[in-house]
Amino acid sequence: MYSVSAEHLVGLIGGLIALPLALIGLRFHQRWRTAPGTVQAAAVLMAVSAGVHLALIPHHLATQPLTSALFLVNGVAFISLAASFTWRWWRLASSALLIATVLGYLTYVAIGLEGPDQVGIATKLVELTALGLVLVPVRGERAAHRAWRHAGIGVAMPLLIVISGATVWIADLARPDARHVHAGALLQATNTIPTPAQVDAANRLYEETSSAILPYEDWRQAWAAGYRPGGSASLPSTHWMNQGFVDAGYVMDPHRPQGLVYANTHHGPVLLGAMFQMKSLNRFGPDPGGPMTAWHQHENICFTPFGLEFSLMTPFATCPLGAIDISAPPMLHVWIVDNPHGGPFAVDIDPSVVAALDRT
Amino acid sequence: MITNQTSRPEIVYVLLLVQAILWMVAGLSALPFVLGGEIHMLGLGLATLLLALFVCLVGIGILWRRHWARRVAIWLEAVCLAGSALLFLLPIGANHGPVAMMTNFLLPGAVIWLLWGRRTRAVFG
Repeated sequence: MYSVSAEHLVGLIGGLIALPLALIGLRFHQRWRTAPGTVQAAAVLMAVSAGVHLALIPHHLATQPLTSALFLVNGVAFISLAASFTWRWWRLASSALLIATVLGYLTYVAIGLEGPDQVGIATKLVELTALGLVLVPVRGERAAHRAWRHAGIGVAMPLLIVISGATVWIADLARPDARHVHAGALLQATNTIPTPAQVDAANRLYEETSSAILPYEDWRQAWAAGYRPGGSASLPSTHWMNQGFVDAGYVMDPHRPQGLVYANTHHGPVLLGAMFQMKSLNRFGPDPGGPMTAWHQHENICFTPFGLEFSLMTPFATCPLGAIDISAPPMLHVWIVDNPHGGPFAVDIDPSVVAALDRT
Repeated sequence: MITNQTSRPEIVYVLLLVQAILWMVAGLSALPFVLGGEIHMLGLGLATLLLALFVCLVGIGILWRRHWARRVAIWLEAVCLAGSALLFLLPIGANHGPVAMMTNFLLPGAVIWLLWGRRTRAVFG
């Protein structure tokens, strides 16, 4: 969702090429200069959408002929409408096509025929903006159905943008690709099945780390060693970070893990495990256990200094006020408590484990 | 359909409406995290929803050719652009995809461009 799919890159290029072509080509229309700016802008945006759809045809032709045919119809219809803005039924036809195109894309995403990516979302934003421009009445214009058009903007645009965001988000979280796990965390690329040597290496890492952090079962020892809690104690668990170890850039040193994870129980912090963290973004650490010890990097998270809390960036690349979009450098957890859903190196600790610790 | 008056305010109204809806989505997206114990997200989510409402009202002010709305919109978008530029330049792993470029740079830039200039200012009462 947050990246440009390789097969859709050509669509992005198609849209970018269509933009200047539309700006130049539409000027030759004899009534272009007398058309309202809203109509001109809508026509250009529809031409951009046409460029995206037409550029995607060759890639889909072999595997998805029906989709290619729909792209062709869509592209030709958008170009026709962009050029016929003086037609009496232009607004109605344009609105219908734009809404149908957005809903068609969402249907494809919902049933899994299409993976949501930046090109798809950007194109839908262009189309929804074009829809608003098609509908908005202009001052001084002899506009029919003025109230209906305003109502159309007030209802259709919020509804379609919210539905688009929700559909794309749900589809992305429900069907992450092989390298994405919970909440968009990007996994390190590894082999699929661990070799016996990798199993041994993973077991050694686990033994060394679990024995090295054993003193930190007493959180006061962790405090004395320089670990500090980051985030609210009202959360089920908290990462305690050692900034000195982060800055020093130790790489997967069992005696100097950059973080410790504690469950926030009613009888105080209970050690769940350690966390190794790399110093820089996009540089995964050594992976002795293959798929068992794959590192992960959290991307596109909205971080706020208020309470050091996190949320997820929306598909439209926005964060709540007071939060900024960041990515966290690659990390690897070593859970010293039993973690039935994922094992000792899983991205997450099973919430039921934390809840059980709180009950004891 | 044909008019000699500028329709820049109407275009800006649509753009601000899109921006308001995107912020509304951002505000709503923060609220589920409150259930997970992130209590500050409640305040941030509500503040974002209020900002979305405010931007929507500024858009209506632009549509009605109000002078204050033009001034507020230019300042608001300038702040957005400055913040986005900072996020773009800092090495914090912020998203630089096409959607982020559109919502964080293109949209605020287009609003400022459309409202800038003496001729456009003359349209606002």
